[in-house]
Amino acid sequence: MSDLAIRWFIPLELRILSGMSLLSCALLLVVLLFDYLRGDYDSMLIHWLGMLALSVMILTSIDHTEEGRTKRRDMGLITSGITLACGITGLFIRGQEYLLVDLWAALVLLIPGLSGLYLLSSPVVSRWVDSTLERAEAEAGLARNRLLLPKWQAGLKHVVLLHVVAVVMIPVLWIIDVAISPGDALQGGTLFSSPTGEHFSNILGGENFWRWARNSVIVSIGTTILGLCLAIPAGYAFSRYRFKGRGAMMFTFLLVQMFPGIIILVPYFMVMKSLGLLNTAIGLILAYSVTALPLCVWMLKGFFDTVPKELEEAALLDGCSQFGVFYRIILPLSLPAIAVTALFSFLAAWNEFLLALTFNTSDEMFTLPVGLASYISATDAAWGDFAAMSLLVAIPVVLLFIVFQKFLIEGLTAGSVKG
Amino acid sequence: MRRGIPLIVVMALVMILLAIPVVQATAVSKVEASGQSSSYRNINLTWELAGPAVEGDGFHIMFSKSPFANASNATLHSTVFTGPTTALAQPVLGEWYDDCQSSTGDGDWVMVFRGENGSAVVPAGTVAIQCDLTGMPAGEEVFLAIWSFDSHLISDDLSEVVTATSTAVDELPPDADTRPVWFAIGSIALSLVVLLAVLGWKERTAQGRSAMLYVAPALMALALLTFYPVGYGIVLSFTDANQSALGEQSFNGLDNYVEVFGSAGFLRVLGFTLLWTVVNVFAHVGIGLALAMALQGRVKGKVAYRTILLLPWAIPSYITVLIWRGIFQYDGLFNGLLGTQIDILGLPVPAAAAVIVVNIWLGFPFMMMVISGALQTIPGDIYEAAEVDGVSTVSQFRHLTLPMLKPAIVPVALLGFIWTFNMFNVIYLMTDGGPNLWFGEPGSTDILITYVYDVAFRRGLYGVAAAWSVVIFLILLWFSATYMKKTNATGAVV
Repeated sequence: MSDLAIRWFIPLELRILSGMSLLSCALLLVVLLFDYLRGDYDSMLIHWLGMLALSVMILTSIDHTEEGRTKRRDMGLITSGITLACGITGLFIRGQEYLLVDLWAALVLLIPGLSGLYLLSSPVVSRWVDSTLERAEAEAGLARNRLLLPKWQAGLKHVVLLHVVAVVMIPVLWIIDVAISPGDALQGGTLFSSPTGEHFSNILGGENFWRWARNSVIVSIGTTILGLCLAIPAGYAFSRYRFKGRGAMMFTFLLVQMFPGIIILVPYFMVMKSLGLLNTAIGLILAYSVTALPLCVWMLKGFFDTVPKELEEAALLDGCSQFGVFYRIILPLSLPAIAVTALFSFLAAWNEFLLALTFNTSDEMFTLPVGLASYISATDAAWGDFAAMSLLVAIPVVLLFIVFQKFLIEGLTAGSVKG
Repeated sequence: MRRGIPLIVVMALVMILLAIPVVQATAVSKVEASGQSSSYRNINLTWELAGPAVEGDGFHIMFSKSPFANASNATLHSTVFTGPTTALAQPVLGEWYDDCQSSTGDGDWVMVFRGENGSAVVPAGTVAIQCDLTGMPAGEEVFLAIWSFDSHLISDDLSEVVTATSTAVDELPPDADTRPVWFAIGSIALSLVVLLAVLGWKERTAQGRSAMLYVAPALMALALLTFYPVGYGIVLSFTDANQSALGEQSFNGLDNYVEVFGSAGFLRVLGFTLLWTVVNVFAHVGIGLALAMALQGRVKGKVAYRTILLLPWAIPSYITVLIWRGIFQYDGLFNGLLGTQIDILGLPVPAAAAVIVVNIWLGFPFMMMVISGALQTIPGDIYEAAEVDGVSTVSQFRHLTLPMLKPAIVPVALLGFIWTFNMFNVIYLMTDGGPNLWFGEPGSTDILITYVYDVAFRRGLYGVAAAWSVVIFLILLWFSATYMKKTNATGAVV
């Protein structure tokens, strides 16, 4: 028993170190890519050396065997030193003009280097290395591992998550910065230093925004209403009735969802052109409500399935008609579900780009997406006005999405997993 | 002081006398315009000069849709200079948009000469000039005048204003014959009604009959606005339909397909599309899986993390793509942060990397949410059992988590494949298929769908574009079928 505890015990420090080094190695790959892009081959060599040292550190720190612990510990200390040295050199090699990225790259090396030196020289590690651990000590160490390891793991997890958050937030912060900076500066170097409302007053004072917003609102609301009128009865029938061809029809709805939009685009355009529906709101409403229809039908069917059938049967017994049951019982009960479906088709129409670009080519009939994209053309790019307008367009959509995310994701993933 | 005044008067007189021969431009004595020219949107303008033109005289031909008394209210059409004509080219009639001829009074009309920058030059001694002016507003009264000037641009003189109307009016092609479309729509609607009526009539119960009524509108919409266009598209792919002859297409057999498979860029664009799709789907699933695992269980700030990580999905994609385009501009944030000077969107490989990175950024939250949902359905006790048995974390992931997630990931990955294959916005808004865009060929970052858009709406070849669409559809169909067969994902449907 005593042997077991001693044999199984590996100090927490070593586990932490290997995890940290692994993360650093992954981040160093990005650092190396940046060095390559900058053509800074000196830094690249330094970072490559640091990565090599970290890899050695990982290899030496995970092993149960008793032999050569001293050697491996010493190796770990040496590689930590090398890593630290690489981090410091990497910072100094950039001279006076180092940027935020250089600081980050240095930290990627400095943190595991420093913690390597600190952790490997802790008393527990020394005694473990010398194999002079008592049984009680080993057992206490195991308990300590169990307690502290999850915390350290959570810490590393946060580091990873924060990196992802940074990558997600950079474009968002940048667009806010561009929107409130004067002129069309792209670097965003001013960093909120001289805020101005000029772009917002340009957009809100001009005609374009209001005209395109009106078009978008008309199209989206029209799509929502028409789409619901088509989807609610169909979803209800699929949920409640068993009839010939039900399976085939439901499969048809699934199949349509798999159709790539492109195969429809050209003939759609020609049909719309023949019918004179190009550059009208009606053309887009028709197209959108049918595109979103399969998903809406499936979402609604799922919701209707959750309404207990007994309610209907009771109403039928009380002399309510079939339509009455649908109108008086099912509809009011599933109002929240219908609201979510409505929101979904509204957002889908609000955000659609390709069909709007193809069908409505006149400036008068642009929807917001196409209008917004027209600010950034090959010849002329009004980044400041574009940024202000994108914020105006995106903020309500994002808020809606975040508030209703639970329902939207449920409906969407249900539809997509089934489809 | 008094003695100065006569001096000033004399000096002024001398100056005026000296100035007269210099500033006098040859005046225009008579202008005539006629819209009786034979060609489209043409007006013929003839003007005679009061005397022979001297070198340095010039004539601006001004026009406007409303009467004007001042040259600044009119538009300049073209300019004729007087000058030495030796060594100048003399083009033939019809090469220029302002074909002018000049006459020295002997009744012969000579074509004008063209200077290096294309300006019209007539020889000194010219007494009359006539020009065929193209590009005039069609079928409308146009006001024209000659605005003559001299070599020093000191004096100018607007001639009388004449009017003319070009006889040719815009000849729009006749409206396309919409009857076939209406006929097709009508017959599809009718046959569907009949089909549903028959099905409903065969139903025994009232329930079944009303079900038909409930389903009818949605089915009708689907048939008319999805199946009909798809069928129409397949038909189109065998015709020579194009922008200029809508509704008059005729069948041309497999010509379009020959063009698709024979085009220089076919393999290249197909290759990039596959690379684009495969890299994206793997990255989406991989990153989504990693983040879902990271957010599993108790994590501090979980709600905040989830909300932020959802942003790429929540923000409309056309906005984020354009934002990234700004970041990757030459003077954009990317180069600013790294201190580099790379024209990312102007070079083939960096541009391809950039569009892929942006699409990965856009697509991972969806996978993350789907996998998160699936992870929650895995019972926690199997991990406890594994823990007790001493299974390592890596093995737990490989032998427990992955197999349990497979039923959720497999269909969503297929969906992701189809979506990414057809992701129009990212490529179109980031690079428009460029760099290296040549007319009629796919650019460096064109995927199939953006290229089809170019073929259809930039080049106007609807028939060829329809053939491309059919090929894309067949590729996707083949892939989906193989994929479902290999992964046995067909269950769980309906």
